[in-house]
Amino acid sequence: MAARSVYDDAQEVLLATELIRLGARLQLLESETALSRERLIKLYKQQRGASPPKGMLPFSTDWFISWQPNIHASVFLTIYQYLVKHAHIGAIQAITKAYVLYLEQLPPLPSAPAVLSLTRAWTLVRFFEHRMLSLQPCEKCHGQFISHAFQPRHKSRCGVCHLPARAGKRKQAPIHIQPDVQAAAETDVSINSGSSW
Amino acid sequence: MTTPDLLSSIRDTNLAYLILAQQMVRQDRAAAIYRLGISSELADLLDTLSPAQIVRLASNNVLLMRLRLDTTVAGILSDLSKDRTLVQAHASILFATQSAEPAEQCHTTER
Repeated sequence: MAARSVYDDAQEVLLATELIRLGARLQLLESETALSRERLIKLYKQQRGASPPKGMLPFSTDWFISWQPNIHASVFLTIYQYLVKHAHIGAIQAITKAYVLYLEQLPPLPSAPAVLSLTRAWTLVRFFEHRMLSLQPCEKCHGQFISHAFQPRHKSRCGVCHLPARAGKRKQAPIHIQPDVQAAAETDVSINSGSSW
Repeated sequence: MTTPDLLSSIRDTNLAYLILAQQMVRQDRAAAIYRLGISSELADLLDTLSPAQIVRLASNNVLLMRLRLDTTVAGILSDLSKDRTLVQAHASILFATQSAEPAEQCHTTER
């Protein structure tokens, strides 16, 4: 194994720290940094105060197609593409930058985690690069939205131009039933920080 | 508003815009390229401008920045019947889909 310079090593640690701060899972860290698994686990524990969650990463492309995730993921992916095309930065830098910008555009509620997690954003980029998902223009607004690759390109409208009947209904629940929802939100958080999605 | 007032407001806006844009590029180049909707070449240029050059550029009587809105985007953004977060998401998708610097394309076609 080639010896790395102290500078490179520090850069890797900085990158890993930033990724952990944004909520990266261990698999992502292992794949994107040159640090050993042991050091990554140590870093993770020091920063988050808990062991990294175990279990497989989400591997379904269908998640990105349902209404709310589709809009969030499309925001992230279009920003990512813009950065790759115009800012000429590396893939993992573009993912973290685009993710920060995505959080800025659609800030999560203080009680709930962001709809699109960094790990999901990372898998999304991999799905996109391996042509499992693609961006298709909406015929009405001409914005680019995520859809399955190799789907017949007939005229289609995006989820914002053509709102599904029950879109956004979930959001109204918290106003009426406060205590239940709080409990539900807490279990949601524990599920998220616990095993996997 | 009289014409001299109008022109001096335009110059003030130009100056404020250029100062902000340069600050954004120096602070975070990639994010600035996205937020300003400019090419990386223009970002590099903004980065190197001296204060004197900025003042010179700003003293133009026309606005230096162009609206990123076209009729579709403006229509979507001004639709008050839709949820605000949804409109925000839609707008950022549309802005990121647009190409950087429409002005640059005009130059290349002229050549």
